[in-house]
Amino acid sequence: MPGATAPQYSVTNIPAPPTKYKNFQIDGLTFLPNGKLVVCLPSGEIFFRDLKTESWELFAEGLHNPLGVIALSNSELIVTQRPELTRVRDTDGDGKADDFAVITDHFGMSGNYHEFNFTPVRDKQGNYFFALGTGSRGDGVRTITRGTFNERGRPGRMHSSAPYRGCIMKLTTEGKTIPWSYGHRTPNGLGFDLNGNLFVTDNQGDWVGSSKLFHVQKDHFYGHAASLAWKEGFEGTPVDTPVEKLAKMRSRACVVFPHGTMANSPTKVLAITPRAKMGPFTGQLLVGEMNRPRIMRVMLEKVGGELQGACVPFFDGSPLGRGCNRMDWAPDGSLFVGQTKHTWAGGEGIQQISWNGKTPFEIQNMELQEKGFKFTFTKPVNREIAAKKETWPFSRYFYEYREAYGSPRSDETKVEISAIHISQDAKTIEVELAELKAWHIHEVTVQNLTSSSGDKLTNNYIVYTLNRLLKNTPPEPLQIKVASKDSKGKKS
Amino acid sequence: MNPHLSFFLFLILSGVCSSLSAESRDEILRKGKELYHGAGSCVACHMADGKGQKGNIPPLAGSDWLKEGSARSIAISLRGLAGPIQVNGKKYYAAMPPQLLFDDEKLAYILSYVNNAWGNQEDLVSKEEVAKARRELPQDVFTPQTLLKKFPFDKKYSKKNGTYTPTFDDTLTEITKPVIYRTFMPGASPAAFAVALPGNHYFCWDAGECRLRYVWTKGGFIKSNQAHWSSNGKPVAEFNGTPYYRARTTLLEDESFDELSKTNMEKPIYDTSQADDFPIRLKGVKETPSFLGYQLVEGYPKFRYSLGKHTITELIGMNDKKTGIVRTFTISPPTEAVLQLTPSAFASINCDQGKSKPDGTLLLSTKESSHFSVSITPMEETN
Repeated sequence: MPGATAPQYSVTNIPAPPTKYKNFQIDGLTFLPNGKLVVCLPSGEIFFRDLKTESWELFAEGLHNPLGVIALSNSELIVTQRPELTRVRDTDGDGKADDFAVITDHFGMSGNYHEFNFTPVRDKQGNYFFALGTGSRGDGVRTITRGTFNERGRPGRMHSSAPYRGCIMKLTTEGKTIPWSYGHRTPNGLGFDLNGNLFVTDNQGDWVGSSKLFHVQKDHFYGHAASLAWKEGFEGTPVDTPVEKLAKMRSRACVVFPHGTMANSPTKVLAITPRAKMGPFTGQLLVGEMNRPRIMRVMLEKVGGELQGACVPFFDGSPLGRGCNRMDWAPDGSLFVGQTKHTWAGGEGIQQISWNGKTPFEIQNMELQEKGFKFTFTKPVNREIAAKKETWPFSRYFYEYREAYGSPRSDETKVEISAIHISQDAKTIEVELAELKAWHIHEVTVQNLTSSSGDKLTNNYIVYTLNRLLKNTPPEPLQIKVASKDSKGKKS
Repeated sequence: MNPHLSFFLFLILSGVCSSLSAESRDEILRKGKELYHGAGSCVACHMADGKGQKGNIPPLAGSDWLKEGSARSIAISLRGLAGPIQVNGKKYYAAMPPQLLFDDEKLAYILSYVNNAWGNQEDLVSKEEVAKARRELPQDVFTPQTLLKKFPFDKKYSKKNGTYTPTFDDTLTEITKPVIYRTFMPGASPAAFAVALPGNHYFCWDAGECRLRYVWTKGGFIKSNQAHWSSNGKPVAEFNGTPYYRARTTLLEDESFDELSKTNMEKPIYDTSQADDFPIRLKGVKETPSFLGYQLVEGYPKFRYSLGKHTITELIGMNDKKTGIVRTFTISPPTEAVLQLTPSAFASINCDQGKSKPDGTLLLSTKESSHFSVSITPMEETN
């Protein structure tokens, strides 16, 4: 579904760093306390950019696929690279890193290319979290692997034969490295919301019907089987476990990104902080997407004790590039985006997104109600258009939980509108549905809606992952598909 | 006066008196030579024999770039030249910085010397020529493109002189400072280092087991990092040389590097938790080593790892003659230690402390263990 970028936002290209290699993919991006931009490249280089003098400086080189960075000070970074979480420091003040200390390497590597080490984040207490990708059936394992090899994690399309692949890891302030959650496939992007909840994305594939956003909680299992090989008390080979058993163990995503229409390969999660200058969306989350030029906005609410909510494209289409992989807030409150691809769909480069301070016409929020959804808009809407049922063509469906790659939309059904209530100020619209079905994704592409002054709604495709209802949520259905023995492990 | 002689005198007087205050040609070349060979000057890169450094610094001896007048070489000296160039059919990668330390006269001496040293037979350069160029040339550092647009080569030289598009490997032909990459290397765990040292010695150090794996010098540094950087990260680096030192491990037989480069195994030959032959044994310590990181000491890697309550550092550099590597260890707190080296038919191994045995065992007392060095030099270099 094509969206757009509201005219209140501008996208500027930032000149590429002077890398020794002709490749400008950005795999890590943040800012130093002094306001300099930090970027990590596939060549293992880390550059700083002074935004005032517009000059680049090389800080470090030689790292192994650094895929995320945190700045602890102007001379000290924490970097996830393939083999480690590493503290990279300039100790003699010459502006170049000279000390590379292991913060933790207490996890395994089979040497499979897909075993990425994604995005470190740090909570307020000083604990670190990082995300370990699984190995791909696109290749096997190396001749010497690191950490105890586990044959139970080896079978399957995406595998976990080296310790904790497919887990979110926690490095505690006491220095202990522990698997924090299980069941991740390609968790390319951790991030906290403003309340300190931890989230991670995952990419569509085996066991992942469509790409997702998870609220990461201790010891939860999020669906991809392979990493169960490392879960204490779990016996047997994960992929040979009856899918019913796995379905009962799994925790649901708080947001599903429909494949092909919303996102195919979501990336970093970044909260819109009070100091961000991005419009009236503070507290919501931004999530990048690799395959198309898109950054999404996610709005969550707690229902039945768990977070769930909606996603909507926010910045969409040219001049935004593809491959939006890492993002952070610049000192002036603008958003910097680093783009990458690593042979998949994506792009390369750095872009800055700035807001001109005027209100865009967007869906500000979508919340669950007893009989439907409440939409809040950033500006008063045209009452006449909003009051029409055909403005709100809702449908619902679910993705199957199965070993095969991805999932079709199952049980896709149009949902009738039973009533529409528009608030006095015309900014809030309650849309009642003939039926609200728990454990189903509800989506709508709002038709022809304008603001009261005639602005076109910039992004009208919005998807709510309805797990729990406000009242009387039925028991969670398994929504599984049992693989036939023949098709098992084969590409679907 | 003989008319020929007077014409000769006229040439000398008009050519030299006007510009270099009646100094003799010998005097000019002597001063130029002195400046050229001065500390930190031209000689540091272009070398005493004017032959430059292979792949990196272009030669001045016999260089086509000095021909067809001196305007081009004056321009390069004054403004610098950033970008790869081709000289007499060969590729050179390094950039030339602007020579800001020399005034017009000194630069004229140097260029006059260069134009007439090592068999070169070009004109003397006057300080007026340099002064005029300094006034009139654009201020920017030249690229090969901007330079050759202004000072193009005659057709007979342009085929073998100009610029080229370098690969990253071109930049590593001649190693002048240590280069350190963490990348996938054959015959090491996936947490490996590839390091190139000045003098073109290379080694693989394995952070997965905290040990030096192998050292080589011929055949160049690893080749496929570029593929690694532009791809999904799968390629295992390749190198063409044969190691002159390869540490023995009990868990590998004599697998070839090709075999060890495989990425499509169903299961590994072994995993690092099985490694039981760490080459340093400390009295009473049963633990396996943990990698702690590395420090750059003047660019050279100083690895550090723990073994029980002991911290070991291992700085790997070059010997004074740059003919082989030197591993300098510290063990803290010091304790009786045994270091297992692997005797090699292709290298001589020497230790500055302790008792060496023919099987490669080095026995160190507590005192000796606090600081000791092991040099590994390929045989042909020691002959």
